[in-house]
Amino acid sequence: MPLVGLRQPLVREGERAHKTRSHRTARWLSLAFLGILAAIVAACSGAAANHPGFEPGYGPSGPGPGFFPLQPVSQQGQYIFDFYPVIFWIAVAVFILVEGLLIWIVLRYRRRPTDTELPNQTHGHGGLEIVWTLIPAIVVTALFAFTVDTLGKVETANTSTDNPALTIDVTGFQWQWTFEYKAQGIKLTGVGREGPTMALPVGEKVRIRLHGLDVDVIHSFYVPQFLYKKDVIPGRVNEFDVIVQQAGTYAGQCAEFCGLGHADMHFTVVAMTRADFDGWVAQQQQPEPSQEPPPSGAPSVSVTSVGIVEGFNPTELSVAADTPWSVSLTNSDPVVPHNFSIRGANADGTDWIGQPNADGGGSAVYRPPPLAAGDYSFFCSLHTNMIGTLRVGQ
Amino acid sequence: MATTTVTHPGAIAYRGRRSWLYEWLTTTDHKKIGAMYIFTSFLFFIAGGVMALFIRTELAAPGVQFVDPETYNQLFTIHGTTMIFLFVMPMNVGLANYIVPLQIGAADMAFPRINALSFWMIPLGGLLLFSGYAVGGAANAGWTGYVPLSAQGGAGLDLWLMSLVLLGMSSVLGAINFIATIFKLRAPGLTLLRMPLFVWNTLVTSVLLLFAIPVITAGLMMLFIDRNYGGGFFDPALGGNPVLWQHVFWFFGHPEVYILILPAFGIVTEILPVFSRKPLFGYKAFVFATASIGALGFTVWAHHMFTTGAVYLPFFSFFTFLIAVPTGIKFFNWLATLWRGQLRFSTPLLYALGFISLFLIGGLDGAFLAVVPFDFHVQDTYWVVSHLHYVLVAGAVFGIFAGLFYWFPKMTGRMLSERLGKWQFVLLFVGTNLTFFPQHLLGLRGMIRRIIDYAPNPGWVELNLLSTIGAFMIAASVVPFMWNVFTTLRGPRNAPDDPWEGNTLEWATTSPPPPYNFDSLPPIRSERPLFDLRHGLTGHGPAAAAPRLTAGDDTNRGEAAQ
Repeated sequence: MPLVGLRQPLVREGERAHKTRSHRTARWLSLAFLGILAAIVAACSGAAANHPGFEPGYGPSGPGPGFFPLQPVSQQGQYIFDFYPVIFWIAVAVFILVEGLLIWIVLRYRRRPTDTELPNQTHGHGGLEIVWTLIPAIVVTALFAFTVDTLGKVETANTSTDNPALTIDVTGFQWQWTFEYKAQGIKLTGVGREGPTMALPVGEKVRIRLHGLDVDVIHSFYVPQFLYKKDVIPGRVNEFDVIVQQAGTYAGQCAEFCGLGHADMHFTVVAMTRADFDGWVAQQQQPEPSQEPPPSGAPSVSVTSVGIVEGFNPTELSVAADTPWSVSLTNSDPVVPHNFSIRGANADGTDWIGQPNADGGGSAVYRPPPLAAGDYSFFCSLHTNMIGTLRVGQ
Repeated sequence: MATTTVTHPGAIAYRGRRSWLYEWLTTTDHKKIGAMYIFTSFLFFIAGGVMALFIRTELAAPGVQFVDPETYNQLFTIHGTTMIFLFVMPMNVGLANYIVPLQIGAADMAFPRINALSFWMIPLGGLLLFSGYAVGGAANAGWTGYVPLSAQGGAGLDLWLMSLVLLGMSSVLGAINFIATIFKLRAPGLTLLRMPLFVWNTLVTSVLLLFAIPVITAGLMMLFIDRNYGGGFFDPALGGNPVLWQHVFWFFGHPEVYILILPAFGIVTEILPVFSRKPLFGYKAFVFATASIGALGFTVWAHHMFTTGAVYLPFFSFFTFLIAVPTGIKFFNWLATLWRGQLRFSTPLLYALGFISLFLIGGLDGAFLAVVPFDFHVQDTYWVVSHLHYVLVAGAVFGIFAGLFYWFPKMTGRMLSERLGKWQFVLLFVGTNLTFFPQHLLGLRGMIRRIIDYAPNPGWVELNLLSTIGAFMIAASVVPFMWNVFTTLRGPRNAPDDPWEGNTLEWATTSPPPPYNFDSLPPIRSERPLFDLRHGLTGHGPAAAAPRLTAGDDTNRGEAAQ
């Protein structure tokens, strides 16, 4: 008979000893579980207490967020922050209910050596099942109503008709940001890992329009302390309104994976008073001091930036040491801006960044400082993967 | 009549002519195919796990110190693709392949050769995916392959596309096979509402695959055309739309989550009644909840796209919330099944309890994401990473280990060591929480995902380090498992036919079952035929004196099963 196995006595050799052991194991495991939960909570509050000294641009110090989001600095973020405790405490209640029942079951309903009779064979209970279908249904319907309400407050761009005080056109491309204040005639493209800085006035409605380049990939404009992000999508213009309520410097970063330089696609938002903002605008509007033309007869080299993936052509340049020189950059990349920069070429050892950028299809002439003999590397500060070697001879 | 040492005469005849290797390479036996699925997917689990360790090692501290950005991008792309398409999916199919025909009293799957074809596509698909490393770099656009980024990469991405098309084909063939098997090959008396819940979950999973895979296959083809033949499906310069890819991908991708997790639900739902000596509480509610989770799975795809600004938010928010209802039914019915039971804490039950306690977290933090404004904050942050790993590690992996410990005696005739199993459980349980819980907090603090480098902001360094330590604990937990399997397989056959006092038909045959599965079947009068045999239908009396079905009786089982 194949059912021989069924008829084998269930209490096998050593079963008794094994049972006691598994009781102990069960108790130990549930204690361990409680311990882990406690440890996690402790670790988190410990990490939160260790709070002051945010990275520059990471907002004010204060009590740590713990299980809560970062302290928001925008009105829209505040709506989200205010809603968070509703779902958080509901989740905590459900968590305690279910885990509590589970721990109770584990401790209370262990199989004992005296359990020879089967337990009551309950196949279900219609009333109870209706209760635990309806209660979650009501809870999630209520949560949905709150969600729609909060969403309406956050997404004012689609609902309100009053004009924003300021509109900033943001372009995200691999792997840099351009912030354009069209009405003020300001256009800033980031340089290096820090990216550009977006200044905006506190307490006024700012509309941020997000543009993607057709030849580029998807990015996402994310300022953690706005508790808000929106995608930058080629072929589409997204926009949102934000009212920043607190002056300060806030870090921002691309949130949608966009390839090699994704982790380096930072920017900074600086919220300031209206007076400071007007001052900032005036300062930005001053024409940049025009570069002195290179002395006639100074050596000049030419290089072409072909594209983010293709890099520069040629990738090796030679110039004479300790001599004023210039470099002309032809940007054959149709859309993406590039520049010509040199690692460690400044007197203080920092990178020399060639400005302004050559726009897509454009060109620029740079006058780097005279360099001591040796090998340097040149790069595009917008796309630090684009590199070449600069040989400075005697 | 057969005994526990039965050997089919036909099997002896084969053995004379065929080598061991030839037998495995050409087999159409669902049990051997199931075992090969399980073994292959476990190898991919190791490969994907090693990649995860590389990722976590890089993220242990701020800065770029262990791998370069390009390698990092390939690592998390191949890690995700491997774990989803080459570990969890084939592992689920492997368990179902072995167990479903046994649980419905069938001799094999409905289409045994197609079954073999489905399996052999898996290693081939894996080979294609990993061969990217041999042609200048594997796919590097993330497992979601968002266009236009995925239109940029090198040949590795074409191989990624081909691999996914092939693996999808395997899934569709498998799904058709399971649906046919479950509808046509059930033993007499095994009505739909007496089917084990694992079979129900496999059925719903198969239906989901059948609807979801063709959609993603079309999308993959479109991307392949875009990349290689100048198609303009997703290219805005040619009038295409990159958001279209996200719709196509997530129309597949969200049901895919249930494809990954429903089999684990099924396993846990099998284990709880057995180890608490009680029937399942609310059998019909479980069936209803499983089917409605499957159906709702097709209504929520755009909740992955809330920040695109291109979808109607309230619709997808509402249906996402709604999924909490059938999931809640499952949780409470699981607890009610255990309530006032007599719990035996063998390893399968530990894993099932671990599943319930941790999957709960993956359910709750998912409900947070249905709150659209909150999703604006945590979309593409570590909150999402944490959520999906609570679903796929605390959910699918715990369910898979529960199933492996539960059915290992049936598959091999040997009992795994309980002591090693419990050590593994503790390591995995602690490691999972240590790895993934801190990631919630990182997400709340705005740490975005898929970055190789992060600023040393307050809390970020400590939380990332905790997460890395946890990842190594998870890796350590796999060692006792492999040692356990290795030593047990070298040991004697010590498992009885029904070591756990099971309820379902697979325990009515020998361990391991003969090639043709059953000599005879017990009468099937409820969803627990073996329980009825032990205790009678009332749960108290002796076995009902019903005649046993023997091989001669089941010639027309297809009709009788209706």
